[in-house]
Amino acid sequence: MADRPVHEHIKDLSKSLIIISDKVLRNFDGALKALLSADDRTLQDVRLADDEIDASEVRLEEQCLIFLALQQPVARDLRTIITILKINTDLERIGDLAVHIYERIPDVDSEFIANFRFGEMGAIAKEMVQKSIQAFVNKDRKLAEEVCFMDEQLDTMHREVFKRAASEIKLAGVDTNQYIVAMSISRYIERIGDHTTRIAREVLYLVTGEIVRHTEGSFEKLIQSLKD
Amino acid sequence: MQMTAESKDSAGVASQGGAKREIFLPPDRERLKEGGTPHVVAKNFSIFYGDFEAVKKVNADILSKYVTAIIGPSGCGKSTFLRAINRMNDLIPSCHTTGTLMFEGEDIYGKYTDEVLLRKRIGMVFQKPNPFPKSIFDNIAYGPRLHGVNDKKILAEIVEKSLRKAVLWDEVSDRLDRNALGLSGGQQQRLCVARALAVEPDILLLDEPTSALDPKATAKIEDLIEELRGSYTILIVTHNMQQASRVSDHTMFFYEGDLVEYAPTKHLFTNPRDQVTEDYITGRFS
Repeated sequence: MADRPVHEHIKDLSKSLIIISDKVLRNFDGALKALLSADDRTLQDVRLADDEIDASEVRLEEQCLIFLALQQPVARDLRTIITILKINTDLERIGDLAVHIYERIPDVDSEFIANFRFGEMGAIAKEMVQKSIQAFVNKDRKLAEEVCFMDEQLDTMHREVFKRAASEIKLAGVDTNQYIVAMSISRYIERIGDHTTRIAREVLYLVTGEIVRHTEGSFEKLIQSLKD
Repeated sequence: MQMTAESKDSAGVASQGGAKREIFLPPDRERLKEGGTPHVVAKNFSIFYGDFEAVKKVNADILSKYVTAIIGPSGCGKSTFLRAINRMNDLIPSCHTTGTLMFEGEDIYGKYTDEVLLRKRIGMVFQKPNPFPKSIFDNIAYGPRLHGVNDKKILAEIVEKSLRKAVLWDEVSDRLDRNALGLSGGQQQRLCVARALAVEPDILLLDEPTSALDPKATAKIEDLIEELRGSYTILIVTHNMQQASRVSDHTMFFYEGDLVEYAPTKHLFTNPRDQVTEDYITGRFS
């Protein structure tokens, strides 16, 4: 059966979300490149791109609210709009974190940073963003679960950075600032992973109708990660 | 598709409290496990018009003191099912039933059931307001008089109480002797609710009660349902799904005579289990 105009509208909102995710990924990718080698974009360019993401996020939210008020969707349609609204917010935060990474680059000693696995961490986080959006597009439960699993890998790597910094920062003659920069960057990438996991969980809600945040074991995992 | 008092879903919603529906519900795990009491119980209940099976082997427990909405496309059997509860279908010669439909443990279609008494306990309000061409007072007093109440003082008390329950008293208390047909459509419909309440029923059947009303009058009827929630078992047939989601605790979805899904309203409108329900409520129906 052909889609009704109302369902075409939902598709348009989904497309707007995917466009935002492309912009966010481009900014994140740029920040990673600048961190690991050289990037010809300036901080000004990155901020302008982020402003554009922010404006798109507000616009999409407004469109979703109007849709909710005028169409009063239910069931899958309702879950889709709620999911778009939530993913929209998470993407905007990922965009901000990419800018934060970019902002730390002037302080980076590239030789020092090369000692950490930021290339690998960044690649995992980027793949998570791509896969979570792919999971949304295809309503793919398995892919969304895969993203949640990948976040654990990212958390482990982030803890390793902290452990290493905590032990080495006490040594005489080390550049404390560089460790703080490394910990910040690690934290930003790990936070991107967290937002991506939230996106994946929203996709799980979209597909199953079950809210899987804060479910079995998640609190214990949080406590354990704080202990680690 | 059966929803019993013991089922997890109905227990969850049923325990929201018989009186007012709370907008912000406590988490599921904190709710009492007590379910509602089944008021009307259908077991393999079918309704036929001649050879045509309009309602097919319905199994359902309708819980006491809750609002249950019945939705579905035209011709799906929802009104037929509603009308079967107080035997309004008896007026159609070719209509007959199989299976059982119990009301408080008594078979509605039992040999010894008195339809007049049954309809006293199970009142009905129709799509179009249908006041009698009598005064407002006489409209309300009609049922009690039929059941033998003739004392003027008692009748006056019943009229006031019923009109107050139907949230109409303040609008008509100074003109009870006027003809009810002079009231607005919305007021007439609330008068019909008051008339049904005057004989102190246990169940109120509302057959598309707002489809002939404007949005303001519709809102008043919905507010009235909210007022009556917890005091009566209410079943409402409606084509307006937003209305079903706004006013009801449970929703039944009928399609081609089958009770496809019967679930707490908040579940049916957010995460229906059946694809046919999903397609119908999201407008993807072909």
